[in-house]
Amino acid sequence: MAQSVAATSTAKPERAKPAELVQLIVFRLGDEDYGIRIEQVKEVTVTPEVARMPKTPPFIKGIANLRGDIIAIIDLEERFRLRPAGRELPERSYTVAVEAADYTLGLVVREVPRPFTLPLSQIEPAPEFVQDSSTRDKYLEGIAKLPEGGIIIVLDMRKLLTPSEVMKLPTKTTSS
Amino acid sequence: MKTRDQEYREMFMAEALEYYDSMSRHLSELERNTDAGPALNELFRLMHNLKANARAMGFTDLGEVAHHLETLFGLIRDKQREFGGALAKVVFTGVDVMGTMIRAIGASQPLPDATALLDNLDRLVRGEAPIIDAEEEAESEEEAGKKMELSDLVYIQVKKLDNLLNLVGELVIDRDRVMTLAQELGNPALLATAQHLFRISDDLQYSVMDARLVGVGVLLNKFPRVVRDVATAENKEVELILSGQDVQIDRNILQIITDALLHLVRNAVSHGLETPEQRQKAGKPAVGHLTLSALTDREDVLIQVRDDGRGINTEAVRKKAVERGLVSAAEAPKLDEQQVWALLFEPGFSMAEKITDISGRGVGLDVVKLALDSLGGQLRVESELGVGTTFTLVLPTSIAVKGALLVEVEDRPYAVPLMHTDTVLALHPGQLSVVGGLLVTHFQEQAVPLVPLRQLLYDEGDEPLPLATKDNLHGTQQVLVVNYNNRRLGLIVDRFIRQQNIVIKPLSKPLDTIDLFGGVTLLGSGQVCLVLDVPALTRLFLAKRA
Repeated sequence: MAQSVAATSTAKPERAKPAELVQLIVFRLGDEDYGIRIEQVKEVTVTPEVARMPKTPPFIKGIANLRGDIIAIIDLEERFRLRPAGRELPERSYTVAVEAADYTLGLVVREVPRPFTLPLSQIEPAPEFVQDSSTRDKYLEGIAKLPEGGIIIVLDMRKLLTPSEVMKLPTKTTSS
Repeated sequence: MKTRDQEYREMFMAEALEYYDSMSRHLSELERNTDAGPALNELFRLMHNLKANARAMGFTDLGEVAHHLETLFGLIRDKQREFGGALAKVVFTGVDVMGTMIRAIGASQPLPDATALLDNLDRLVRGEAPIIDAEEEAESEEEAGKKMELSDLVYIQVKKLDNLLNLVGELVIDRDRVMTLAQELGNPALLATAQHLFRISDDLQYSVMDARLVGVGVLLNKFPRVVRDVATAENKEVELILSGQDVQIDRNILQIITDALLHLVRNAVSHGLETPEQRQKAGKPAVGHLTLSALTDREDVLIQVRDDGRGINTEAVRKKAVERGLVSAAEAPKLDEQQVWALLFEPGFSMAEKITDISGRGVGLDVVKLALDSLGGQLRVESELGVGTTFTLVLPTSIAVKGALLVEVEDRPYAVPLMHTDTVLALHPGQLSVVGGLLVTHFQEQAVPLVPLRQLLYDEGDEPLPLATKDNLHGTQQVLVVNYNNRRLGLIVDRFIRQQNIVIKPLSKPLDTIDLFGGVTLLGSGQVCLVLDVPALTRLFLAKRA
């Protein structure tokens, strides 16, 4: 629809409608690729020393000192239950500091995250079949299909970072 | 260091000069528009304040002039005199004379004679014409060329001071880290610089904290009126004695305890003190005494509310607490006096038999505890039936830096504010016993329950603590005895690290909902250290006690 408007109303259609690009920071959780829009990312760093914080759900790894800010470090693999059995976080992991309206949160990932640019049109709303898989669907902005195959699941941090969501305790497990 | 007197004098000077400036401004306005009601009211108020301040400082001459002018402005306000002509001239002269007097006070010079002026003002008040000699008029022409001065004091928003304090807090944390690094690297030049930085930031921190201090009197001086009002409403006769108004405390701390103190004072008048008849029957003077005093005790400031009233009826409180469901009927008789009194500060507890305007709405003393908890302060209660009650608020002088004891549990450091620590004990298993599933030791003839801090921190879920046994206690136990609301609790830790001053940063979202931690602090090594909140820890222990 938009294309037809552009073609009829302006003399320079090629300038009026450039493909809108999205820059993502992409990282692996389990065996899947996840991305966050770069404007929601504050910095990427080697995970600083994390102090375990009692009385928090297991996916909260603890708190860390990031340039004077004390931030919570969150393990999304654990949160989304994507951790393959027997594959614990490596000694040296990386933290993506993402910014919400009034605080910062660290997401711990196992490999160096990489930037990735793609046209916005490649991101499609999440299909129905993932909607019931886990809590993760609530945070999805969409799924990007790459031309060379493979997909990137794009997370919307603003939905992920509400305090009630972060603190929501997983349903009681049988042990402990 | 300046003496208090000097400081008060400077504050008086700054305020007086400011009054003088506003007076001149309002007079000019009044001259342009004689109906300027607000300007007139303001002049009346300024005169009144200046009079009161001058008299309080012992500058009676200045007080006299202000008093005369105040009277005259009163008449003008009541439309009995009109501003203008000879009257205006005398008033301008009067304000100028006051300016000269204020400057003379500032320069520690004798005050100029104001008899002629006072006579003229008297005449005006009586409705006679003032006598103005030509010489004086000529002199006032020169006034146009007089110097302009700026006040020596600046008013500053507390917010700006708060910001400054936060920045200094950050600086101190980094300073400690630089110091640690310098020691590790062992470079002498770096070490010397680090030490210098250490000293400077220490001084800076001290200066910023000092800038935030105000006299407790700022708050205490508001109480004569409060006490009068409550006493009148309750038909009591009360003599209020204030002391320690000069004791210095952080302005924000004073702000936070304002409501708490208000409640304690109202409570003392309406519940503590008896009516004159009751007092006389008990062989006491009809007039009750209420003392509000502030004093310093090492790093802390103590504010005491003492009455010579009926004292706390411990048994009545015990009974009420059972009725209100605060303790079980089985538990209640086991509580000692202090523990029973602590119940007074539980939410929803009120001893009032009848509902009055002033107190007894079932809200009250729990605000005191909330305010103190938020500051890391403590409350002490002493009371003797028929003799009186004393509530003591133990407050830190400053909010920024707190003394804390660092302890280690499972290789992690935790900080416990010294405000809540009683003592540390090293106990061998023979000094411990198990009572009703709880580890207990005897300390200062009191049974103190013990709990491994590990269990409180790391045991998940709401299940009660496991029954204690002595089987898994090996060797000497390191115990930190904390005290909250007169309740002692021994925390078994792995080891004590050291005592040190810490700057507490609040936990940021989303973790700020966990009340077990009062915040975090960064240690010199850059390590993150959680600060334990003893009130919350005590509550958790009570809730999980089997």
